[in-house]
Amino acid sequence: MDFNRFWILDGAMGTMLQADGLPLGDRPELLNLTDPDRITAIHRAYIEAGAEIIYTNTFGANGHKLAGTGHTPAEVISAGVAAAKKAAGDTVLTALDIGPIGELLEPAGTLLFEEAYRLFAEQVTAGVEAGCDLIVIETMSDLYEAKAALLAAKEHSSLPVFVTLSFEETGRTFAGCGVDSMAVLLGALGADAIGINCSLGPREIRPILEKLAKETSLPLIVKANAGLPDPATGAYGVSAEEFANEMAAIADCGAVILGGCCGTTPAYLKALRARLPEKPCRKAVSPVPALCTATRTVRLNNIRVIGERINPTGKKRMQQALREGDFSYLRQQAVAQAEAGADILDINVGLPGIDEVETIRRAVRAVQSVTDLPLQIDSSEPAAIEAALRLCNGKPIVNSVNGKQESLHTVLPLVKKYGAAVVGLTLDENGIPPTAEERLAIARKILSAAEEYGIPKEDVLIDCLTLAVSVQQKEAGETLRAVRMVREELGLQTVLGVSNISFGLPERVEINRSFLTLALQAGLTLPILNPNIPAMMDTVAAFRVLSGKDAGAEAYLVLMAERTEAEKTETEALTLPHAVEKGLDTHAADLCRAALQNGDDPFYLINGVLIPALDRVGDRFGEGKLFLPQLLRSAAAATAAFGVLQEHFAKTGGGAPTKGPIVIATVEGDIHDIGKNIVRVILENYGYRMIDLGRDVPVQTVVDAVREYKAPLVGLSALMTTTLKSMEKTIRALHEAELPCKIFVGGAVLTPEYAEEIGADYYAKDAKASVDIAKRLLG
Amino acid sequence: MILPCPPLDRSEALRYLGVRGEAPDDVTALLSKAEALLCEKVKPRYVWRALDPPPKFPGEDLKRHLAGCRTAVLFAVTLGQESEELFRRAQSGDMALAVTLDAAASALTESCCDLAEAEIRKAFPDRYFTFRFSPGYGDLPLSVQRDMIRLLNAERLIGLTVSPSDMLLPQKSVTAILGVSDAELPKARRGCALCRMREQCQYRKAGEHCGF
Repeated sequence: MDFNRFWILDGAMGTMLQADGLPLGDRPELLNLTDPDRITAIHRAYIEAGAEIIYTNTFGANGHKLAGTGHTPAEVISAGVAAAKKAAGDTVLTALDIGPIGELLEPAGTLLFEEAYRLFAEQVTAGVEAGCDLIVIETMSDLYEAKAALLAAKEHSSLPVFVTLSFEETGRTFAGCGVDSMAVLLGALGADAIGINCSLGPREIRPILEKLAKETSLPLIVKANAGLPDPATGAYGVSAEEFANEMAAIADCGAVILGGCCGTTPAYLKALRARLPEKPCRKAVSPVPALCTATRTVRLNNIRVIGERINPTGKKRMQQALREGDFSYLRQQAVAQAEAGADILDINVGLPGIDEVETIRRAVRAVQSVTDLPLQIDSSEPAAIEAALRLCNGKPIVNSVNGKQESLHTVLPLVKKYGAAVVGLTLDENGIPPTAEERLAIARKILSAAEEYGIPKEDVLIDCLTLAVSVQQKEAGETLRAVRMVREELGLQTVLGVSNISFGLPERVEINRSFLTLALQAGLTLPILNPNIPAMMDTVAAFRVLSGKDAGAEAYLVLMAERTEAEKTETEALTLPHAVEKGLDTHAADLCRAALQNGDDPFYLINGVLIPALDRVGDRFGEGKLFLPQLLRSAAAATAAFGVLQEHFAKTGGGAPTKGPIVIATVEGDIHDIGKNIVRVILENYGYRMIDLGRDVPVQTVVDAVREYKAPLVGLSALMTTTLKSMEKTIRALHEAELPCKIFVGGAVLTPEYAEEIGADYYAKDAKASVDIAKRLLG
Repeated sequence: MILPCPPLDRSEALRYLGVRGEAPDDVTALLSKAEALLCEKVKPRYVWRALDPPPKFPGEDLKRHLAGCRTAVLFAVTLGQESEELFRRAQSGDMALAVTLDAAASALTESCCDLAEAEIRKAFPDRYFTFRFSPGYGDLPLSVQRDMIRLLNAERLIGLTVSPSDMLLPQKSVTAILGVSDAELPKARRGCALCRMREQCQYRKAGEHCGF
């Protein structure tokens, strides 16, 4: 398509149909089947007014919205495309219109990315078969959903694809997406034109469009409403003339594809056409390279810290979590790193004997449900990389490709297809070269291979490889020299796994932070490190000040002020049980560590100190003398102390026997899982091994887990009257499978009588009650 | 339409947290933190529509509720997805904060309904209103949520959707119906005694109340 000229889109379909008597709330798409001539007539009216691209009447023609109508998307879409083509003739283009599914994707809702993709693919296939000329994905609020649709369009057609999102006046969508993330991700995924439609009138859209124009060189689309609707009547207020004037101003800001959304009619389009200048005035821009998630853009114009903690190498607890499918542990690690200041999170789940593809899928979903940081997909398995890239909500980094031919030609196509950045390791068939010059040569080779695949230079990040200084002492200097050369001669971003340097030495942090300082000075921009160690983050913060990246030391001052605030907590003499009872987690950990150093028996600390303290807290909660947030704070303090004991057992061998396991889940259809999470936290404290299946858990998944883990006890939660039925079904399935487990249930609308009626063994009115049940059953 | 974030009704939030009597200092501090986080993040929105005549929904209780009303106002309020990011995150770090955020957000949603209703009333001077009646009250089924969302065009206008199990998403959202009458209405009668569902009601069994 030629974008050196304007393209006029059509105006609203629904508005025209409603003016023509379509009852409020009815599905306009069904008219494609029942009254196609009426649809063709509206298309004709827009074409007569000057439209050169018309959108088919298929906005809501997806399998989800059409459920219960008795019609398939294929039927509705093929009739819709036919009705449009009848009006379009040879000169006007027919765009297959695809709107949002109407259900929120996880984590905000329950719809899975793959299911959204499947629904969109069904629409695209039907549209292509019916002969549409291009595909339009519009009115999206969730960038993740837009990604599913764009991927479906790209994989099931070779037609041009336009994508437009709906913004509020704040410049963000309902799902929190800004124009920066939109431009980064949709550009990377290969959209042909992007822009803004619906929600606002042209006056409100203009400032948002101006911002978008600075973020992308893609052709820009605006399909604005006729102003804002009157709440009482739903009518739109801006006249055709005003609309056209304001749209002309939008064209001056660089938009080249223009039309009307809700409230506009052929008169608006006619006026718009008359007001447009002869030629568009689009200027190419070169925005700062960036990574993103749907709600956060991380620009690569400063030191950005990549958190390394989600990686099982050398981490027993992480290995256990991955083997047991305990993704709540991964979520905690993600949140902790985000709060410590990481900018990007590395995800590596590679363990011998693990299904890496399935595990990395679940890990990506878990991590992106709790943080908005871009991810670094860390795997040497192309199938795992691709699985993660598909599900990734944003533009991630792939870690990694290397100079080997095989690696270049399997990894780089994936990086290009999914619009990621990529880390290139400076090693090849001959291993890691000893000198900086040779590493630079490999970096050059990786860059040129990436460019051949169409990956932009700024998305190639080079890792010059950190080797343990205790083994290869003189190569530390070579690594630093290579970093400087890659930065200066190739102008690329650089990555280093900083902690590798100190392997085999005591007091590793000392070596790590000194190496980090030297590496930053040499030109390292993306250090991979443990952000939970303040010394490392402080080094980065200090370097940002010294290198002028932190103007006025503003970020540094904020960081240090927060530090002082956190240290101000009470300094009075505390005992371990008091720290637990008062819910002071760092104190509890410190006191527990001190007790161990004092020679206290760890089993005594568990059974003689921590558990009795928890019991006292639980009793006071039961008596109404202490409340839920306090109970949970105490649980967190006990968890911190247990963490210290676990570290101790990991060093000395042995450890407390775990009881259980207990499988818990929030039943299918229900995503209110806060109650279930409370129960998990409290039961974990009492030493039960918890298998948390999450929320919206299908019946079969519960049955399978109980069987696999031979769980003697199962906990189910449901909050809605509508989802109690799922609870009942799950219990019935457990009984039918003849699994020897007891079932306890809880949730706001449950009662002991109802619990009994649906076949549960126990009703737990709160977390304390669930502990009593577990104790009675499992000791 | 965007609503200003109302002040937090702290006593309501404490009630949701199960706090009876005077709140302990640490709970008060936590509530202040939750309030600050929510006020920074949350963007409450509402949408409404006057329907004349009122829509035909299943059940007897709504019909009785709207007796004498020529018009019904449907409305929906949501705190938006922003609040839910906060809960999700807190649940992986600080559960105590998570439950407090949850309670505070519920209280805020209720206050937003009050604000929205006040705005709606301004559009009907000299008319009389019933109390707010929501899907799930009495015998008005939750499946009506889907119709409410469609009639209000709430997905497009405020980003409010319904899950397959009739749950509103974002979770901190409310839909409700107000009857509007030309003549003064008899003093609102509400409560379990009048409800046709009282024998089967799960709320009532738990000693709670749906709001009817």
